[in-house]
Parts: sequence; C-alpha cells; structure tokens
Amino acid sequence: MAESDNESGGHTGNASGSNELSGCREQDRFLPIANVSRIMKKALPANAKISKEAKETVQECVSEFISFITGEASDKCQKEKRKTINGDDLLWAMTTLGFEDYVDPLKIYLHKYREMEGEKTAMMGRPHERDEGYGHGHGHATPMMTMMMGHQPQHQHQHQHQGHVYGSGSASSARTR
Amino acid sequence: MDQNQHDRLAQEAQYQSNPMMAPTILPTQTYGHSLSSSYPRLHPYDPQAMYQLRQEPLQQQLTNFWAKKRQEIEETTSFKTHSLPLARIKKIMKGEEGVRMVSAEASVVFAKACEMFMMELTIRASGSAEENQRKIIKKCDVASAISRTDVFDFLVDIVSGHNKIMEQQGFVGIPRIGTALTPTENVPYYQMPPHQSLVPGPPYGSSGMVVGMPVHYQNHPGLQTPTMGPTPNPQNSSRDSDS
Repeated sequence: MAESDNESGGHTGNASGSNELSGCREQDRFLPIANVSRIMKKALPANAKISKEAKETVQECVSEFISFITGEASDKCQKEKRKTINGDDLLWAMTTLGFEDYVDPLKIYLHKYREMEGEKTAMMGRPHERDEGYGHGHGHATPMMTMMMGHQPQHQHQHQHQGHVYGSGSASSARTR
Repeated sequence: MDQNQHDRLAQEAQYQSNPMMAPTILPTQTYGHSLSSSYPRLHPYDPQAMYQLRQEPLQQQLTNFWAKKRQEIEETTSFKTHSLPLARIKKIMKGEEGVRMVSAEASVVFAKACEMFMMELTIRASGSAEENQRKIIKKCDVASAISRTDVFDFLVDIVSGHNKIMEQQGFVGIPRIGTALTPTENVPYYQMPPHQSLVPGPPYGSSGMVVGMPVHYQNHPGLQTPTMGPTPNPQNSSRDSDS
C-alpha cells in the first residue's frame, strides 16, 4: 500500500522535514521550535514575550499530545482490525480523552479537506459521492451522530482499507482513562 | 504573510527598544499594568480572590479563541500550506507503539489540532503570567496552566520536576516564584511588593481586550521557511537573550 507522502501537503512537509533532519535525529521527536514559537505568539498580544524554556516546554507538550491521541486512536483501529489511522479515528479519540472543544472545528476542517480530495479524485475519474454521507453529519457533529452514521469508507483506497461500522463504539466510549 | 511577519518583527523591535529608553514607560496596550505600576501599594488583594476574578477574563479569552478558530477553519480554502510540517507529525505518530499506517488526512487533522492545542495552552499560561504581574511567559506558567486544567492531566509528567519545586516553595499566593527559579530580570514589576495584584476595573478590562488579535494569519509560512538547528535565526537568539 502506497504511503501518503505523495500528497502535496506531505511533499511540503517532507521538504521541511529534510531540512530539519540535517540537524540531529533527536529532533524527530519534536516539532520545530520556530513553528511552535510562531503559533504561541499568534495566541497572544503583539507585545507579549515568551521565554525560551516556555517554548521548549510547549514543544514537548505538543509531541505528548500527538502521542496521547494517536495511542487512543491506534487502540481503536486494532480492535476493529484496521491498519490505517484516519481523521475520524483522531476525532473519536479526542472526544474520548476530553478534547470536545477541538472536535467541532476539526470536523469542519476534515470535511473541507475531503471535499478538496474528492475533487482531485473526480478529476482522476473516480466517484466521490461518499462525501455526501459525511456532509449530512456536518452541523450535527456529536459522537452519537457519528456512531449512528457508521464509519464512512475512505475514497482514497490506495492509502487505506475500508472502514468498519462503529459496532464497538459504545463499548469503547464506556472505557475510562 | 511576509508583510505580517515584518510588521510583527517591527513591533517587537519597538517593544525591545522601550526598556532601554524608558524602562518604566509601558506601551499604550498595557495601560492597566502602567496604572498598577503607578499605584503599587494601594490594592493588595488576596491572590486567590484575584484568581477567581480573573477566571472570567480567561474564559472570555478562550471563548473568543474558539469562535475565531471556527471562523478561520470555515474560511479555509487551501490545504497546501500548514503551520506545522506534516512529515514530522507523521513521524511522531508512528513513534507510538502499535501504529502501522497513517492516512494523509490524519496528519492534516493533527496539524490543525496541534495548533489549537498550543494556542489554548499558551492562553492559559498567559493568564498565569498575568496573575504574577509578568509580561514574559515562563515555564512555570505553562506548568501552572497544566495543573489547573483537567484535560491536560496527561502532561503532568512533562512538568512534574518543576511542579515539585513549586510545591516546596509554596507556590500558591507567592507571585515571585519566577525570581526564585531564575535570575532576576530587568522588569519593573519585580520592584513591587510580593502580594501586589493588578487593579480590577477598566484598566484590567482594557488589558484583557488587547489579548484578541486584530488580524489573524490564515496561511502561515512555516513550511516555506524551514528552520535548522535549535536556534534557527538571529531574531530568535535576540529575543532569547532578552527573556
């Protein structure tokens, strides 16, 4: 199965990654401090200042955030015997782990992304009507609605397998941290 | 984007020049702090009460943040530029045991999620810095934000060493925790009495309102200007030396 690195976003990421890799491999565990710094500044007034130690702490925290969410999503994929973690798995994991505030905006974002990908797929002569199912859920973004809709199969088949219906969703939701 | 970045750098340059010319004169945006500085001993409020009072402005900042984030996402028209390198995100994901395949959309979703996570954490940390009358956000502010937010429990280990120090020092109610852990900086606030707090009312409201960014940057050049090494450019070095 082909990896997703041929995506335009992935390509750009690779370019950035290549530059970073010229440093040391230890840096692979963290996002670039310059990106972290820029994003932190975006959250503050222009005259605010951030110590280097604070930036480095947030740099560590965001890697932990990625691992934390990924671990939960990965557990779910393994239970459902799927190999590929997709966007819905991450949103489910965030809901489970208490990041409900993040899920609504991210659902919109993921929907937009899939629409764009669908257009690309259409140009390659492949149908993308499956987006309609997800679009129906847009605006009613609750975990229950997501479960009721069932898992939407991905239209990028070369990247991942078909998804399963969230049969074990309720059981997983009942799980405590 | 370049213009925005240039404007920000110009603002930072202006701010950095201020302490040298007149350390006690603060920019207009921090009028509240200026007032507090002018009358340091008149309002020695209880820090806990002040924290309760500031909860509202902090919650308002977060509410504004989420509303702005949603609008920003709704206005997204391109997925070719991300504020974080997707390849690095994917590598971190694959570092988790049991992870096999990661779809492209997962990395894209995480790029946006991490941005929101870092901004929320930064806003909460700035509340802690403000509580201690500092304009510089320090590591202990991040630790404080983490300890006060249940959903961030999974991060406690990352700052646990610092938390232990804070506990030993009896952090609660002592705003000078910063000076106990780092060399004293040339900041006017440290000349105030230990329990000095900001004056509530219009000045604080003004200060709170400043937190909202008048312009938000949709497409960040993060990927267009890749960085190398721990200190990517002179600007960062310059700022680091100040902090």
